[in-house]
Amino acid sequence: MSLFAFLGTIEIGLIYGLVALGVYLTFRILDFPDLTVDGSFPMGGAIAATAIIAGINPWLATLLAILGGSMCGLITAFLAVRCGILHLLASILTMIAAFSINIRIMGRPNVALLGEPTIFTPFEQSGFDQLHVHLAIVFLLVLFSSLFIIRLLTSDFGLGLRATGVNDRMVAAQGGNIGFFTYFGLALSNGFVGFAGALFAQSNSFADVTSGVGTIVVGLAAVILGQTLMSGTRIWVAVLAVIVGSILYRLAVAFALSSGMFGMQASDLNLITAALVAIALIAPKMKGKIRIKAVKV
Amino acid sequence: MINLQNIHITFNAGTILENRAIRDVTLTVPEGQFLTIIGSNGAGKSTLLGAVSGEAPVSGGKVGIDGVDVTKWPVHKRARFAARVFQNPLAGTCATLSIEENMALAYKRGKKRGWSLALSGSRKEIFRERIAILGLGLEDRLSDSIGLLSGGQRQAVSLIMATLSDSHLLLLDEHTAALDPRMAAFVLELTNKVVKEFSLTVMMVTHSMKDALASGDRTIMLHQGEIVLDVDGEERDKLDVPHLLEMFNRVRKEELADDSLLLG
Repeated sequence: MSLFAFLGTIEIGLIYGLVALGVYLTFRILDFPDLTVDGSFPMGGAIAATAIIAGINPWLATLLAILGGSMCGLITAFLAVRCGILHLLASILTMIAAFSINIRIMGRPNVALLGEPTIFTPFEQSGFDQLHVHLAIVFLLVLFSSLFIIRLLTSDFGLGLRATGVNDRMVAAQGGNIGFFTYFGLALSNGFVGFAGALFAQSNSFADVTSGVGTIVVGLAAVILGQTLMSGTRIWVAVLAVIVGSILYRLAVAFALSSGMFGMQASDLNLITAALVAIALIAPKMKGKIRIKAVKV
Repeated sequence: MINLQNIHITFNAGTILENRAIRDVTLTVPEGQFLTIIGSNGAGKSTLLGAVSGEAPVSGGKVGIDGVDVTKWPVHKRARFAARVFQNPLAGTCATLSIEENMALAYKRGKKRGWSLALSGSRKEIFRERIAILGLGLEDRLSDSIGLLSGGQRQAVSLIMATLSDSHLLLLDEHTAALDPRMAAFVLELTNKVVKEFSLTVMMVTHSMKDALASGDRTIMLHQGEIVLDVDGEERDKLDVPHLLEMFNRVRKEELADDSLLLG
């Protein structure tokens, strides 16, 4: 793999690290399997791209994308909390609805951002290499996002959020409003996913309605891979693990596709992803078994 | 103070499974009183506590706490008035959080949960002091996951958690029933100690007639959703378990007669 491809892979890994943060918030913290991300990721891209083309400041466009993602999360939370629809199904409903809405936003299934200003443009014009600029900005944004999540989850409010996914009866007995925590958690999670979608679109100069397919699996792969390799109950460890997991996942995929020695082609991506997630899920159990055997001997 | 006025609670109303768990119960628990509640399975003991906590919404009557009509309030809103300890030790604490994080959750019971750090230095100091009351050495294990503790230890911590917020009402739902006899005795002793030290108003549901008489200063017996015995003061001091059992059987006589017909 060339250095160019390597840095590009890291950048994608970091962007999807934001998706992984969102998935971590729903799957791990709230215990709410949320497939909305397959809709909120392309929505982030669609909103950012459309807004930029309309002449809106790229940072403002990115903010709008985050709000758009959050709206998707709120709708899923509404369907689940208020209407009592099973969480998985509620998120699938939002996801498929978002597909149509995304095409409405863009007016067509995809738009190109070539030649348009993005959040990267001012820094590129200062003479630095494009890839380095992208990497540095994405790294900083992911860093700030991670610090925000860590700080949030160690606050009084965050503690309530964390307990909601484990023992909601106790949270209610302690005066926490389960419904509100669910709304907030889903809005925050999908806000991050929308953010990732906006960065992805600006980095790659296009937004595509189909770019959301499989977002949930990629996010889940990052969370599971990261937390299998770096286990620990401390929040900052978990958050770091999720980001590292996302980068490692991208590297593993890029390696499998580019090395040629496995005879893989691009369309094998989903197969590789499924295999990686399966291995990451099985690995902790294998570790336990091997230890038990060692003790027996 | 707790004020229950002509409370009715019916589960599955209008169906073949209709169960009138509480029938027209009126009960006032004044400030500082330690009330114990006994009764057989299905008598409505836990449901009565649920009427106060909000987990069992009433189908008729009024629920007042500290002079506020909370009849229509959801569980989380009522939490500001009352701390609870459940029968299941796993229910009252959050297994994946540490001991101090659980305490921080309870510290903010019924208050606004904001952006401030849950585990500040000054708070940790309060938690350390409070949990030392237990004498279990947990003050040195505050950052351990609470899931590592035994059921009894978790109940003990739950009791301490109940004292962290400034409400003076404690609802105990058979909180010693799932423990071994030694641990149950320890938790009950601790309950009495905590109640006295923080001058709490208590409603304690129990299966044990002995505990019901030994703790607290008023005892009620429920049967089929109604209060069939209400004793306090001297009359209660004279009561012992055989007496109570006799009363218990007297109330159940009709039912027993029915049973003997069925079984005979």
